[in-house]
Amino acid sequence: MRHRIVAAFAALSLLALIAGCGGGAAPRSAWVDSNPLPQDTMMTPMNEIGVHGGRFVIGATSSPKTFNALMANETSTTDVIRFMFVALTDIDYKTQQDRPLLAKSWEVSPDGLTYTFHLRRGVRFSDGTPITSADVKFSFDVVMDQTLHPSMQDGLTMTVAGKRVAYTYSAPDSHTFVISSPRVDALMLAHVGSVYIMPRHSLIRAFESGDYASIYGTNTSPDSIVASGPYRLKEYVHDQRTIIERNPHWFGVDANGQRLPYLDQIVYVVAKDQDVAALRFEQGELDGLDNVKPENYASYVDKAKGGDFVLHDIGPSFNTNFFWFNLNIAKQDGPDRKKGRPIVDAVKYSWFNQRDFRRAVSHAIDREALIKGPFQGFAIKGWSTMTPGNARWHDPAFQGADFDTAESKKLLAGLGFADKNGDGILEDTKGNPIRFTMMTNGDNRIRVDMLNLIKDDLRKVGIDMLPTPLDFNTLVTKFRSDFTYETALLGLGSAVPSDPGMGMNVWKSSGLTHYWNAKQVTPATPEEARIDALMEANVGTSDYEERRKSFREVMAIVNDQAWVVWLPVQKMMLPVRSKFGNVDPSPMPHRILWNADVIYVKPGAGKR
Amino acid sequence: MRTYILRRLLQTIPLLLGISALTFVLLQAAPGDFLNMMAENPAISAETLEQMRKNFGLDRPWYVQYFVYLKNIFLHFDFGQSFSRHQPVFEVLKQGLANTLLLASAAMVITWGLAIPLGVLAAVKQYSLQDKALSLIAFVWLSIPEVLSGLLLLFLAAQTGWFPLGGMTSLDHDLMPPIQRFWDLLRHLALPALVVGLVPLAGRMRQMRGNLLDVLRLDYVTTARAKGLDEHVVIYKHALRNALNPLITLFGFTLGSLVSGSFVAEFIFSWPGLGSITLEALNTQDQYLVMGAVLMASTVLVLGNLIADLLLAVVDPRISYD
Repeated sequence: MRHRIVAAFAALSLLALIAGCGGGAAPRSAWVDSNPLPQDTMMTPMNEIGVHGGRFVIGATSSPKTFNALMANETSTTDVIRFMFVALTDIDYKTQQDRPLLAKSWEVSPDGLTYTFHLRRGVRFSDGTPITSADVKFSFDVVMDQTLHPSMQDGLTMTVAGKRVAYTYSAPDSHTFVISSPRVDALMLAHVGSVYIMPRHSLIRAFESGDYASIYGTNTSPDSIVASGPYRLKEYVHDQRTIIERNPHWFGVDANGQRLPYLDQIVYVVAKDQDVAALRFEQGELDGLDNVKPENYASYVDKAKGGDFVLHDIGPSFNTNFFWFNLNIAKQDGPDRKKGRPIVDAVKYSWFNQRDFRRAVSHAIDREALIKGPFQGFAIKGWSTMTPGNARWHDPAFQGADFDTAESKKLLAGLGFADKNGDGILEDTKGNPIRFTMMTNGDNRIRVDMLNLIKDDLRKVGIDMLPTPLDFNTLVTKFRSDFTYETALLGLGSAVPSDPGMGMNVWKSSGLTHYWNAKQVTPATPEEARIDALMEANVGTSDYEERRKSFREVMAIVNDQAWVVWLPVQKMMLPVRSKFGNVDPSPMPHRILWNADVIYVKPGAGKR
Repeated sequence: MRTYILRRLLQTIPLLLGISALTFVLLQAAPGDFLNMMAENPAISAETLEQMRKNFGLDRPWYVQYFVYLKNIFLHFDFGQSFSRHQPVFEVLKQGLANTLLLASAAMVITWGLAIPLGVLAAVKQYSLQDKALSLIAFVWLSIPEVLSGLLLLFLAAQTGWFPLGGMTSLDHDLMPPIQRFWDLLRHLALPALVVGLVPLAGRMRQMRGNLLDVLRLDYVTTARAKGLDEHVVIYKHALRNALNPLITLFGFTLGSLVSGSFVAEFIFSWPGLGSITLEALNTQDQYLVMGAVLMASTVLVLGNLIADLLLAVVDPRISYD
């Protein structure tokens, strides 16, 4: 029957006679640089010298929402604008070190508070206007604006004696920019690097009239968007594609002194569904996939043998998975709570609040089984936000309570928990069965699968856990505002840079995302007070070894207390067509294209 | 007639008000708000969230927000801004609406273009093999959910390469000569339009068949045959016209579902229509964008029904609204 239907509709669609027409590769002619190079070019390191031309087509889950780099807040937007605008400094995704970008160099004052940046000379925006310190200062003015309040502002303010103090900055001459923090900020360069430099001449009027938030929207004509990055906007078709093309004034060059980027264009094609994106990759419409489900790795390993694409093994992701127990205390009276009392049921709080209980739960979880199951073997154990993939910050000393059923049972028995009625579930000393719910967002299949395996593991030590998948928004409300949950399983994505200091809000007891007990006025436990001090010290020095040491101690305390129960970290493999050179994907966001200024199409490989 | 249209249009105002109030309340009842996603990001501070909430007006109670929303509509015809895009909502929605209307119209052409001739064929050859085969195929298609038929066609496209895998235009669309552009658009349109258009086909075809059979039994048809008219003339000139009458009303009513009928197909084929914008707006709780989309769909529905009623009066002289 189905054959007949298909046949019938194939006949109906006689319309499509010229199947396979269109979509040919863009013609490749020798590229000629039409603009003189600036005085201070930037030599960009790369494996091989490339050739100009070609394009890279990548899938995106959504269209960019704005091209106003300082107002961008989500990844579909930042993925694109990252190539249209540059900052003073940048991160080398391979070494995770800061490197110069628009600033040619910088000096730090002896007290470590003041940074002086020297801008490259002769560099220009995509419309040919010179980039000067006035543009830099303008961009910082926008970021520090109290009403606009872009999220980058958080990195350029500091709490001193209970008050938010903004960093001070100035532009003493047209090629110098100076910024000072009230105390040493280990992440100063990263924070400065988060401020994209916007064209003052094009935006100042909108800023002064209070319309800055809506300028450079997706309804703006591409020609009138002035870019400072390696690419500029060519075309935006809502919910279909965004095309960026080479900025003819970009200051990056290769070792032969040829202007970068090599690629004529990068095309972001909207493919909302991950499976549809995979289909489009296999059809040759997309040149790479930024996200592959672990269950599909095996098939890609096979297909990569055809030679059409390379499956890049980039090792453990920087994203984590973990769960935690709700130890939040009510900040005010409410219908279901009393100020100063735990929000969860008092009986459950009495279990959750004991280190031995939390450790017993962590010991009960068979992480090897989780790796084999939901991750199909493509995962590794991790015990920190700095995963084993994070070469700069991971420490072999990070170690939590791993799978050990005997130890788990011993700890539970030590708490006086025993199965008195023989139903297989332990009871506490007052006879309450040890039973709780664990929430996660139901749209994430790996998390839901983990939840089910964890339930079985906990059952083996006599704990009854009820998996509760929920809608993401409901979940966020539960652990951001009303705290009505018992335990929750979640993950944290990687920040750029992936630095312990970026996790201040997670580890400090006053933090908004201090999961297990958020927004504490004073630290609830001596251990948390110690973590607060360690985190302050961590970002209060630029000494790498000292910072590693303090973070190691933070993780030692967290893991000893088992406030966070860590789950495996996914290993990542990304397929990219083999015709591209200098492809070197990173686990950090913008995975395949982080170095899109040096990626090129290998000569003779252009045809498909 | 004019007073009737005016009265109907005036009636839509309280209707749309009611819809907007209900939508707003439902949106408020959903947990969280637009800043949820950002609240999850450890790099964003409480102060930033607070200032953003204030900028978006989300710090005020919901009834105040709704009142301000209505005030802006009535005083400035301003339907608010999309939080994520910092653009007026209709600026964001208009392209999606145009694309959805294109898809829906193409689907309608398929539905009616097939339903009428096939229905006539089935009626003329009542109980023949063709009649039975046609109804079988039509009902099988009717019982396949859109999600499945969409995926089947997508699979067909992936296997054969005859059609693109979703989207509305090719990457090089802008570089093509006009004829090729049109062709490119047609190739992208074909599958989603088939998915949307074939669902109501079974019903419309049976309706056409039934109407024509009814008419063919009437006395005037017998008279026409008796006076020796050619069977072709009897059917196409005399019978068909009268048989089409009820279908025109039906056609009017389907206008109303133009905007909302293709959301599933839009998602499967990455068609950049109103459906995908609305879904994304709902997921991110971009509240005024949701409001705008709902109001837009409701307006089209109301207008569709009005047109249906007016068409009825035009084609059937027995009906008059004055």
